[in-house]
Amino acid sequence: MAAKLRAPGWYRAALFIVLGIAFAIALLTSLRAAFDVSPVYYGDGVLQVALLTVPLWFLGGMGCFDYWLRWASGKHVVDDHKDHGAHTWKDYFKVNTDHKVIGIQYICVSVFFMFVGGLMAMLVRAELASPGRQFVDASTYNGLFSAHATFLIFLFVIPVFAGIANYVLPLMIGAPDMAFPRLNALSFWMLPAAGVMFLLGFVAPGGTFASGWTAYAPLSTSAPIGQTFFTIGVQFAGASSIATALNFLVTIITMRAPGMTFFRMPLLVWANFSTSLLVVIATPFIAASQFMVLLDRALGFNFFNYANGGDVLMYQHVFWFYSHPAVYIMMLPGFGIISEILAVKSRKPVFGYRMMAFSLLAIVVLGFTVWAHHMFVSGMQDWIRIPMMITTALIAIPTGIKIFSWLGTLWQGVLHMDTPMLFAIGFLTMFTLGGISGVMLAMVPLDIHVSDTYFIVAHIHYVLFGGSLLTIFAGIYYWFPKMTGRMYNEKLGRLHFWLTFVFFNITFAPMHLIGVQGMPRRVYDYADQFATWNLIISVSSFALGLSSLIFLYNMISSWRSGPRAVANPWRALTIEWQVSSPPPIFNFDAIPSVVGGPYEYGVPGAVHAVFPTAEPPPVPAGTESAAGGTATAVLEKEE
Amino acid sequence: MEAAAIPAAVAHDDHHHGPPEAHHSSKVEREQLGILLFIISELMLFGAFFAAMFFIRVVAGDEWPPKGDLPIAVAATNAAVLLSSSVTMHWTDISARRNNQFGMRAGIITTFLLGATFLFVQINEYLHLGFTPKTNASASAFFGLTGLHGAHVVIGLLLLFMSAVRIFKGAVDPKNLKGLEVAGIYWHFVDVMWIVVFTTVYILG
Amino acid sequence: MLVVVVLVASAIGIALGLAINWFPAQGSTIASDIDTFWDVLVIASVPIFVLVTTVVLFAVWRWRMRPGEEDLDGPPTHGSTRLEVIWTAVPTIIIAGLCAYATVLLLDIQESPAKGTRVVNVTGQQFAWTFETQEGAKKLRSNVLVLPVGEAVQFKVRSKDVLHDFWVPEWRLKVDAVPGITTQYSLTPSKTGKFQVVCAELCGLGHAFMRQFVTVVQPAAYKAWVLKQSAPAAVAGGGAGGGAGAKPDGKQLFVAGNTQTGATACGSCHILAAAGTTGQTGPNLDTALKADDAAAIKEMIVDPGKEIAAGYGANIMPPNYAQTLSAAEVDALVSFIDQSVHGGK
Ligand code: HEA
Ligand code: HEA
Ligand code: HEC
Ligand code: CUA
Ligand SMILES: [Cu+2]
Repeated sequence: MAAKLRAPGWYRAALFIVLGIAFAIALLTSLRAAFDVSPVYYGDGVLQVALLTVPLWFLGGMGCFDYWLRWASGKHVVDDHKDHGAHTWKDYFKVNTDHKVIGIQYICVSVFFMFVGGLMAMLVRAELASPGRQFVDASTYNGLFSAHATFLIFLFVIPVFAGIANYVLPLMIGAPDMAFPRLNALSFWMLPAAGVMFLLGFVAPGGTFASGWTAYAPLSTSAPIGQTFFTIGVQFAGASSIATALNFLVTIITMRAPGMTFFRMPLLVWANFSTSLLVVIATPFIAASQFMVLLDRALGFNFFNYANGGDVLMYQHVFWFYSHPAVYIMMLPGFGIISEILAVKSRKPVFGYRMMAFSLLAIVVLGFTVWAHHMFVSGMQDWIRIPMMITTALIAIPTGIKIFSWLGTLWQGVLHMDTPMLFAIGFLTMFTLGGISGVMLAMVPLDIHVSDTYFIVAHIHYVLFGGSLLTIFAGIYYWFPKMTGRMYNEKLGRLHFWLTFVFFNITFAPMHLIGVQGMPRRVYDYADQFATWNLIISVSSFALGLSSLIFLYNMISSWRSGPRAVANPWRALTIEWQVSSPPPIFNFDAIPSVVGGPYEYGVPGAVHAVFPTAEPPPVPAGTESAAGGTATAVLEKEE
Repeated sequence: MEAAAIPAAVAHDDHHHGPPEAHHSSKVEREQLGILLFIISELMLFGAFFAAMFFIRVVAGDEWPPKGDLPIAVAATNAAVLLSSSVTMHWTDISARRNNQFGMRAGIITTFLLGATFLFVQINEYLHLGFTPKTNASASAFFGLTGLHGAHVVIGLLLLFMSAVRIFKGAVDPKNLKGLEVAGIYWHFVDVMWIVVFTTVYILG
Repeated sequence: MLVVVVLVASAIGIALGLAINWFPAQGSTIASDIDTFWDVLVIASVPIFVLVTTVVLFAVWRWRMRPGEEDLDGPPTHGSTRLEVIWTAVPTIIIAGLCAYATVLLLDIQESPAKGTRVVNVTGQQFAWTFETQEGAKKLRSNVLVLPVGEAVQFKVRSKDVLHDFWVPEWRLKVDAVPGITTQYSLTPSKTGKFQVVCAELCGLGHAFMRQFVTVVQPAAYKAWVLKQSAPAAVAGGGAGGGAGAKPDGKQLFVAGNTQTGATACGSCHILAAAGTTGQTGPNLDTALKADDAAAIKEMIVDPGKEIAAGYGANIMPPNYAQTLSAAEVDALVSFIDQSVHGGK
């Protein structure tokens, strides 16, 4: 037992959590005693200190810091790679430095949180099924939609993209791992900590955080203690995302295979490059906004105390300076996934590759200039509205370039209409709709009427569900064979798509209408005139929720017993498909060299990368091996 | 180091000793790029607090300075202390590159002590300001910015401490510099940041 | 052919989009401009959506992989500068047009009201609005907004606690009530009738109930209303339902509140078996008031902030019942609650 408690892992983590709580109590109580503050024991204070510090103890207990501490103490450290790679399923529950293991950890945990957040949406819809109070009170309802959005944004969409990229990006650029594998592990393990914190909010006295995912001051600074679970939880989710983004950037810049110039990188790499820029630059702002809320709440600061010179609108400026870029953080990686899938499944190069890359960068730059479009009715200075309207609307142009280029990619292709492709083209149409409603919102005269109504809720879900979530499903299906070495069930996949697509539209399309008609958001009771539509929406949303169970079943059963997948079932050119499924523990025996573009489908004899090895690499099924006895094997040959 | 240098015979297996060496696709070192990006992130964090001060001082028009005069002289002295610590940090770096053990040790210790002096003076200043964050929003902005900087000094000192431990254990030499360099870059950043904070908080007003 | 399909489908889509009755009634002079703007947006957007969808469907129909084509590839087209220029330029033009239109319209909306415009001070607090205006020497303060039709009015919006948002859907305009600053907008009501004032910014537990009414009347009727208002300090019941003569019904007030004055229904937050209400935001009055007499209950209603029931937050129960309910109404309510809880003793 003692040995178990000393070795990094769950036992030590449990012990450390207990120590951490004791530390929080001791620290605060002794400080208060020293400064003569009474009462000496102050529960809410201890809770806040504990929320800030216990996650660090947990991470320490799991072993996230062991290597660094050994290094910092001047000991000679060698990396023996003993924490690299999973040999049994148990290794997925440990701190691991293999980007592939971390990728899977990320995906599984965030899909779990998708179901948590989705379940909350089901409760929201059940409450809204008819006017009046059904079964939750105002405090619970406000908590439910706040937690719904918090889980789905901070613990599902953002990390799941990080997870997918974690898995495929190093493979794609021919790197043996991420640049900082231990930082990568740390990033991952912060997520469960944040998730547990958000969940614990529900048992806080006075209810969980209930001021929306936007947590506007001064509602959030005067809310019960449950709000702190959001304020601090977001710090950990944010730190995790900054660390991962930094890791991606360094990996992409310094670890590309020879020959992998920037304009030979697959667009998924470009997309994550752009996203990571957004994260590194923008995320500190949400950290700052929540620090200020915390300081106001815990130490009596006056940032948002208008009676004492504070500025209430400042919260919104700081918050949206992150949270608008955040919506692109939740979309650009999806754009990358779609580019991969459309090229492979249409058997054509991505149309206008360079413009695809440049438009990503354009979105990044423009994305920083539009935050106040969330504040058109906030009472900020009127003159900001027109410039912000123009910059916001301009984003439609680079986004349009992407949409039309994808259409160009489909044109004259040989379209393999399987599950990933269905989700990809579902995304094309649904995201266009969501984007267009976004441009309508950018038009100030209209936004003044529809802001804070269900029209916004409709927009949110068309871009986040019809946009992000569909790309996530597409990506998970597409790389499922690579990640698990097994094929998913195609029939169930298609069924999942069609049910999702249909019920998604029945659920969210009517929200446009009831929004314009005047139903405000964030209410659990509404006028009778909206009753019919809300009932339809609720019923359909349950069907939508159930359809996601098909996905879950498909993933679990296929992972356990699906047919074995070959290395390259899609006949793709990018490097991740040129290694076995799942890839070898260190990705490559030797780093490949890149000799051409990533999407040269239809070009006879085109090759993206070659491996310097005598042994022929795994060859796609049905394709002739071109590797002779030469030292350089041609990986894939297109006829 | 190039991929081609790896023996072609290495079989496709899970048992061999480690990953292939990654190709270096950029002249920049990973660690340096990493700390640079981290500093960009930190700059944005400071940026948010500067924005907060801007909104409180300019947009909401809360009086500045929060109450009475700010002790500019103390802060300026402190700036000098911190700046000189940047010089000694640089000295440490150079000594490490030349494998000058004495220079490294003396350098890191003086840097650390100068940093600690700064922190001590800063805390002392807090106690004699005559206002607290509760006083008004300007005071909150003041403590927010200087406190954020103070927190960075603490982190910097932690890094310096680790570097000191490693130097005294002989773990730093011209071939094992990265850790020290990263701590050094970060320390310079903390110092430069103080100049910015000092200028905006104490002088412009 | 594709072009024809896109055109036809767009026409159908636009027709559909315009046929749907999207908006509530037009209650202010700018409402029709905004509704027209919406129509323009529909006309501009539908073809874009239809184009994307049609191309997708067409491609799927035309180029779907057929049996035997498993190993085929498409042509290696890498792009087309001409097309790229087109699909950059056309959206730019559309965007520029829409932005120009929106700017003109917005400036129209923002234009400061003509001299002598009536000013109404709107104050939000959890969870009620108060409206104040000056008519001659008379200062009017009420919980129902009464305005003459066809006369410009400027709203100065303030908040006493957290963010709220002053919105009348029929007028199309809204603005947040921000603690510490005064926000404003102006408009001219163009339609008589009674409309809901909706709080559109999440402001806490009672956000969903923060509804009051605005009554837009003919100028003559407005003058009459102003005359009827008593001395400055008193609060107008706004021609409260039933008139002075009829005795207020306590149960009715408990279940439905007074929609005229913006008194939120007690039942939306409180359980009271006799009234059949099930709200759980506040304490269960059947059990909580067992030990309280009528005077104490009255006190709790009129000044809820004085004592906060254990386990509940302050500032949730509206503090304005003393204003939104007349003395007679409060008494009726108190005696109804008293009887319900203590069994009519
Ligand atoms: C994935 C997330 C995501 C994405 C990608 C977007 C994309 C966009 N969003 Fe959205 N938005 C959200 C998530 C997202 N949004 C969320 C969560 C909120 C609510 C937050 C809250 O309050 O809780 C919100 C709110 C929001 C508002 C504030 C509304 C309000 O509260 O009053 C506005 C206003 O301008 C807006 C605009 C836009 C625009 C212009 C785009 C553009 O980027 C869209 C660009 C895309 C297209 C336009 C489609 C493709 C283009 C073409 C086919 C070319 C031709 C098109 C034209 C010429 C029009 N969004
Ligand atoms: C990625 C982001 C994302 C996703 C995927 C979703 C998914 C869904 N959302 Fe959410 N939503 C947001 C982001 C998202 N939402 C945001 C940012 C807000 C704004 C919050 C705020 O105002 O602060 C919001 C707000 C919001 C509201 C408005 C609340 C209000 O303003 O009062 C509603 C109401 O209908 C809603 C509904 C739904 C539904 C029905 C789904 C469905 O798609 C969910 C589908 C369900 C699942 C995917 C899994 C669950 C299924 C099971 C657990 C098993 C089946 C069980 C049963 C059938 C009982 N959402
Ligand atoms: C928005 C929700 C809300 C509405 C509407 C509301 N209340 Fe309350 N009420 C509360 C809350 C929350 C409390 C507990 C906190 C407090 O004491 O202020 C409370 C407390 C009370 C109490 C004191 C109970 C005790 O145990 O001390 C009484 C009596 C009461 N309300 C009566 C009424 C009556 C009568 C009305 C209608 C005229 C009404 N309330 C409307 C939320 C509401
Ligand atoms: Cu007041 Cu919502
Ligand atoms: Cu935005």
